[in-house]
Amino acid sequence: MMRPSLVLTVFYCWGIVLANLIRFSFWPIMGLAAAIFIGAILLRRKNFVFWIPVLVLVLFAGALNLKNSRILPKDHIHNFVLYKDSSLYRLSGFIDSQPELKNQYLQFVFRVQEAQNNRLKWPACGKLLVKLSFIRKLSYGDQLTLMGNLTRPYNFASGRGYKDFLARRGVYLIMRLDDPRQIIQHPGNRGSKLINHSLWLRTKMEEVIRRNLTDLPAGILCAMVLGQKRGISWLVNNSFVRSGTVHILVVSGFNVGIVAFIINLLLKVLRFRRIARIILTIACLLIYCLITGASDPVMRATLMGVIFLSAYLFKRSPDIYNSLAISALFILTINPGQLFDIGFQLSFISVLAIVYLYPKLEALIGLRVYKNKIWKSIGQGCLVSFSAWIGTLGIIVFNFGIIAPVTVLANILIVPLATLITLCGFTLVLSALISPVLAHLISMPTSLLINLLLNINALLVKLPLAYICL
Amino acid sequence: MLNLTPEERKVILFVLGLAFCGLILSNLIKVNRHIEKIIIPQIQLAKININRVTLDELSGIRCVPPKLAQRIIEFRNLHHEFSSLDELKNIKGIGNQRYEKLKEVFFVE
Repeated sequence: MMRPSLVLTVFYCWGIVLANLIRFSFWPIMGLAAAIFIGAILLRRKNFVFWIPVLVLVLFAGALNLKNSRILPKDHIHNFVLYKDSSLYRLSGFIDSQPELKNQYLQFVFRVQEAQNNRLKWPACGKLLVKLSFIRKLSYGDQLTLMGNLTRPYNFASGRGYKDFLARRGVYLIMRLDDPRQIIQHPGNRGSKLINHSLWLRTKMEEVIRRNLTDLPAGILCAMVLGQKRGISWLVNNSFVRSGTVHILVVSGFNVGIVAFIINLLLKVLRFRRIARIILTIACLLIYCLITGASDPVMRATLMGVIFLSAYLFKRSPDIYNSLAISALFILTINPGQLFDIGFQLSFISVLAIVYLYPKLEALIGLRVYKNKIWKSIGQGCLVSFSAWIGTLGIIVFNFGIIAPVTVLANILIVPLATLITLCGFTLVLSALISPVLAHLISMPTSLLINLLLNINALLVKLPLAYICL
Repeated sequence: MLNLTPEERKVILFVLGLAFCGLILSNLIKVNRHIEKIIIPQIQLAKININRVTLDELSGIRCVPPKLAQRIIEFRNLHHEFSSLDELKNIKGIGNQRYEKLKEVFFVE
């Protein structure tokens, strides 16, 4: 089977890693790449030899993309702020993310368009993280003028790269505001209309959930269905981390799969033709991706879903490795720094581990020959969970210093429950379109299932040697 | 895996070429963006821009009588705008003493 995209993606990733380790200048490498490109054009008729310059070019592409992504434009606001700068800056621009409450601060990403310092005013660009110690009703796209000091983020003493984390998101400065008079709101909205509509839809869906469920179950359902984690306390989140099932509180490929399944089923019932069904499912997946904030796992799953569905559209057989590689390549082309993000790594490695290890483990224990369907299903669930656990063990131990042997058992019990809860969540939201009474009826079993989930998780965490902190 | 059709090879080369062109353009744009700095004059000293002031505003200034205000506006209209405050001396009714007072009131932009 041909998997050229997998090889190209691997070489692209190596290029990014090399660029992170080795210092080089952009233009000499670009010149070399141009020369190799000419060589590749001349060698295009020779099958095996053609691959050598192509793979080198892909390696260079990864390296140069990372190098270029770290170069800031001359008018980037970061270039004007000195280390320990106590000057007062007046910045005009708009909110570039949905404001959310985190650690008692209302924070959002602000896109700068104009900056002023003393008597100097200039058009600028760049993003900064704004933290407000007061509550203000703000939304994505609002045009603001902010007045305050700018500081550079730092890495924690433990080595955790908060500065690097923000830099990967294009944020190099932080502004903390304590007085409402430091913000001037202007009329109008500069945000993307598509994102505005998606956020509006998400707000409406969140309202439905919060209207029909109490605080904690509503918070968990919002996290599982909409990717909104603000309703989950640190204690609950930590409990799921210790049981190794925190991935269910994040919108991921699983949710995307459910959306694709529900939409496809609905369209089938409504007698839509195959091509129309595929196109509409792809459109719904893209909308869902925007609603949930387009995080790495959702992007990966959406892209894989789109590639899979497109394969049926173009009458080609889909290949999971190819679609995984293409989705990784797409994300890393937009933001090559994401390769060093733990979320990105976990998202792809877990899928790769399941896809690669599961068939081998299944063959090893001879699960296919089992006649008892119930034991076979349980065995398959165990193996999937075990494959993902083994694949992600190294990264989790290295980054979080925790080993959770209870993960395998927890995933067998909690993941099917999470499936039911997610299905109930989507049904709750869709039923609210039909009748509030129906939504209220569906909210009751949903709430029960969520409480069951929390209790099972709490029980599992109390088991001896459930998790080991290193 | 190594067997690619000629069309597939062309597609790969095309995509790579496009990617590198994009990188070059992106780098050039980032490196060559120039910054326009606008210096904001010290408006807090309450000086008036002589090229923007209206007849009513001029008439309201203590050391500018109504006829002189009219002459300043006519001079400005005739010469399009003042390039420096020294041109005030060319207006009838503005001597050295009045000019020294008007220098504290106006600025040219």
